[in-house]
Amino acid sequence: MIGLWDTTGNEVVKALAAERRSAGGVASGLALTLIAVVEEKKVREAEAAATIAAAAHPCRVLIVVRSDLDGRSRLDAEIVVGGRLGPAEAVVMRMYGRLALHAESVVIPLLAPDVPVVSWWHEEPPESIANDFLGVVADRRITDSAQAPDPVAALRQRAADYAPGDTDLTWTRITLWRTLVAGAFDTTEAKVIGARIVAPEKDPTAWLMLGWLKSRLGVEPVLEHTDRAPRMHSVELQCENGDCVRVTREEGTALFSRTGQEDRYMPLPKRPVGDELAEELRRLDADQIYAEALGAMAGLSGLDHRPSMRVHVWKDPALAARAASTSDALAG
Amino acid sequence: MGNPLRTAQDRRLPRIPEPCALVIFGVTGDLSRKKLIPAVYDLANRGLLPPGFVVVGFARADWGDGDFESLAYAAAKKGARTPWREDVWQRLSSQFQFVPGSFDDDADFDKLAETLDELRERNGIQGNTAFYFSIPPAAFPLVLNQLNRTGLADNAKLGGWRRVVVEKPFGNDLQTAVALNQLVDDVFNPADVYRIDHYLGKETVQNILALRFANSLFEPVWNSKYVDSVQITMAEDVGIGTRAAFYDASGAARDVLQNHLLQLLALVGMEEPTSFDPQEVRAEKLKVLKAISLPADIAAGSVRGQYLPGWVAGERAVGYLEEKNIPPDSTTETYVAVRLGIQNRRWAGVPFYVRVGKRMPRRVTEIAILFKKAPHLPFDPADVEMLGNNQLVIRVQPDEGVVLKFGSKVPGTAMEVRDIAMDFQYGEAFTESSPEAYERLVLDVLIGDRTLFPDAAEVEQSWRVIDPLEAAWAGTTPEPYRSGEWGPRASDEMLEREGRAWRRA
Repeated sequence: MIGLWDTTGNEVVKALAAERRSAGGVASGLALTLIAVVEEKKVREAEAAATIAAAAHPCRVLIVVRSDLDGRSRLDAEIVVGGRLGPAEAVVMRMYGRLALHAESVVIPLLAPDVPVVSWWHEEPPESIANDFLGVVADRRITDSAQAPDPVAALRQRAADYAPGDTDLTWTRITLWRTLVAGAFDTTEAKVIGARIVAPEKDPTAWLMLGWLKSRLGVEPVLEHTDRAPRMHSVELQCENGDCVRVTREEGTALFSRTGQEDRYMPLPKRPVGDELAEELRRLDADQIYAEALGAMAGLSGLDHRPSMRVHVWKDPALAARAASTSDALAG
Repeated sequence: MGNPLRTAQDRRLPRIPEPCALVIFGVTGDLSRKKLIPAVYDLANRGLLPPGFVVVGFARADWGDGDFESLAYAAAKKGARTPWREDVWQRLSSQFQFVPGSFDDDADFDKLAETLDELRERNGIQGNTAFYFSIPPAAFPLVLNQLNRTGLADNAKLGGWRRVVVEKPFGNDLQTAVALNQLVDDVFNPADVYRIDHYLGKETVQNILALRFANSLFEPVWNSKYVDSVQITMAEDVGIGTRAAFYDASGAARDVLQNHLLQLLALVGMEEPTSFDPQEVRAEKLKVLKAISLPADIAAGSVRGQYLPGWVAGERAVGYLEEKNIPPDSTTETYVAVRLGIQNRRWAGVPFYVRVGKRMPRRVTEIAILFKKAPHLPFDPADVEMLGNNQLVIRVQPDEGVVLKFGSKVPGTAMEVRDIAMDFQYGEAFTESSPEAYERLVLDVLIGDRTLFPDAAEVEQSWRVIDPLEAAWAGTTPEPYRSGEWGPRASDEMLEREGRAWRRA
């Protein structure tokens, strides 16, 4: 591990090359570069998740922490090849002052040549990804609406801001649910006429489940709020022939019940963020099913036809603040 | 109509079998404990089993239900690749049922049929049943007759599907293989017979197809114009272990050359299938197997060996003849090297050197494609003395990966060219969490995907390669080699005669 304090982008590039050379034949098969945008207190968590994900997808991890935008421009970097982060090679960069607004100038030279770039925000998702160059440069963008103060509103904003190649970890979290629900219709051809989802009011996964069922089955699912469960509690589908299929979460398991059959329990564990991230990195093209579900949930259509390349839109928080204060002054 | 919740684009949703029952014959055996039961647990833990899934174990009567449960528990816990979760096991084992019995007792099989009917009824399983034959081939006729008699193998009567899984050995020569195939096909539909060659369940082996047919870089040089020779090696550091009776009757060629190595050879040598439909892939593999030619003089083009005492990896190893239950005058081989050819336009004149051995210096399975040397080298001969053949090596196990070996200038003021190896390796953790071969294959059986299973024609064709070799070897004595060596000296000489050498694997 090399630590560099108050350094430059060039020094980081050189240190990474030196560290790779001295570590010997490590990770010669890089599949992608993962840019993790995190806040200081979540750096360790992001590292742990990236380590799990890198085990399945050998990658270079660039962790970017931006803070103290008003201070002096400064870059600190830590380079880890092998060891603590498993098969990954990682650079943790802390950027302060105006430099934080130009993080891409440090990050772009560090991208592994000609392999896909994935950006992952392990913090509140940006309002508009086009404002963050670290999102514009990526082929795939992963957000986590659950980390926003109002997760459901954040998820709707993802639909408004959607471009092919975006996904949200709230979608990843319902893969196991979707597997169970879809499995119920592998052997019967029953037509579904209605659906009911029971979940807490602020649970974004329930909204995506609703969007998915709506877009796939053409039904209008009913969302019922509950305060008793911390997360999505149950999904129930009514069939035309009177049958009813219900999946209910109970701790780490799902109770699967169906009219005329014995109840059964299936595993439904809560996965660590690293596993979710690994699932995301498995596919680097756009997820159309997610786009349809997200569109159906937010009432937007044609998400899939939007251009997949974003153009960077410069937004300076200092200017915005100054504009706000002048308009305050004018108003006052 | 199909399931509206599934589409081809939704690749997150895993393939999950229909509700079904898995019946394991010989459930208390070695294979079942080491591979099958852990594979079923891992599948359950990954959420890849359907809501209605039951396992019925059948084995000799000296086991009670409780004994079986503790045996299965210990086996699953020991062999599981995924983290151990007690609740998953509890639920899975509540769907496990043990039926003690013997293969020649009608009443025991009636009991089995009853148990199965009752379990299926309770779990909403519509007839779907897979039978796993984890038993010696000698017991096949008994079990097959019983299945026939009780109607357990009757598609029309039960509805759904019926599949049967058999393990190697697939016979002992062409004649016994044909007889065995006919026997199974009489009771089951030939398309429902799944022959497990666990090598085909390995990620790297499947990767051979991706490497060859997803890239444009390798295919143009994948022929006799550019390839000098191919070496396929399967080395084991262990001896024969506890398999003395079986091993001494068959030997290395029948044990692994007939199945694993010829399958690897077929995957490396086959033409591009028109699609990845199981039929198409098997058709291409079969064509290659049919085109295999044996050395004109088998005595000169093959070497058999048998290990002597020695040291392997810092431990003393006994010789083959001193192994328990091996007759002191045994002429069974523990090492085979043979020079095969493939008679078609792509491979004419390219030797395929195939070797397998026990008590080798280390455990390694790999396929090396050795390319011809450049037709002209504009260097001083002294500068390229250390330049060998370019090589593409597919490492099957351990350290799964691909190595490309080519010449490069040694840094310095002189133009000196030397071989370097570019090594692509899956991360250590990656290989651990990737599904075990059995897990993948058991899932494929339950789903009904036959791509990774050799069919009867392939098995029979492979015996047509082995039988003439065995006939020529009859009455000969294998060459001795010391444990911990790369086989007998005669094997090195066989390649030296053609101006080549074995790659040190």
